[in-house]
Amino acid sequence: MKSSPDDWTEQARAVLDASAQGLDAATLSRLNRARQQALAAATPTRPALRWTRRLAIATSLLLAVTIWWPDSGPVPTAPNGPPLSPEDAELLADGALEMTDDPEFYAWLDADADHNG
Amino acid sequence: MTAQPAKGYDWMPLDEAQAATARIRLDGFLRSVERRALRIAELSVGSRDEALDLVQDAMLAFVRNYAAKSEADWPPLFYRVLDSRVTDWHRRSQVRGRWLGSWWPAAREDDEDPIAMAADPVEAGPLGRLIGEDAGQALEGALRGLPLRQRQAFLLRIWEGLDVADTATAMRCGEGSVKTHLWRALAALRSALEAHR
Repeated sequence: MKSSPDDWTEQARAVLDASAQGLDAATLSRLNRARQQALAAATPTRPALRWTRRLAIATSLLLAVTIWWPDSGPVPTAPNGPPLSPEDAELLADGALEMTDDPEFYAWLDADADHNG
Repeated sequence: MTAQPAKGYDWMPLDEAQAATARIRLDGFLRSVERRALRIAELSVGSRDEALDLVQDAMLAFVRNYAAKSEADWPPLFYRVLDSRVTDWHRRSQVRGRWLGSWWPAAREDDEDPIAMAADPVEAGPLGRLIGEDAGQALEGALRGLPLRQRQAFLLRIWEGLDVADTATAMRCGEGSVKTHLWRALAALRSALEAHR
């Protein structure tokens, strides 16, 4: 009895089927785990929940940035006054600035201002 | 399929009952192909552990990318993913082999003489003379000896039962290429199995 090419491919299919059915328990267990992991990856996520989660994350980030952002504002400096005159500079250099601690000096300044003013 | 097409993991229906149904269908499909997929991968890479990793990776990628497709499209798409993983595995192996010095030459498809390897239609089937375990070992050895594309064409067309168009989808090639690979595979297998007489 001669067989056609289809016959031997049928035999090949049967041999391969037998090899697939004869897999050991450990291999089948690993296949099962692989399938479950793949299906777990497809767990649905509701859009509303997703957006809520994203909003919460964005808000937290914004808050953190606001709190921890280094203060990069302009460094406070003394207001620009008129340039120091040579006499004032000489007065400061002589240490005569101690006069500013004397209340009588301010009384004299006020009186002088009233007199001139 | 009631799943809503979307990217990534968002394919499942929002309704819990629909999601459960979709999950059951997907589980059933993967369960129906996993053993053959493992054997196909194992015949291609020669290691069960490596094959299990490839099948797991293929399952994950299939669920992520193609679960929202029509169920009729699942078999070629799943095998397309698996074929891609197997091909990548071979590319990586070739790179490793290049660095380590390959001592075993890969089979070359172009070296075959199709006329010399053509089957004799009146000759008895090569597996007909082999029985039981001998037939399995002989066929497995012959399949391992095939070039990758020929082996994939044979396994997807003859064993998995995909038609030419679906096999072409799975192998990412034209239908003409599938026919050529299959024809060469059949001739090579017949020749290899004859040697086991």
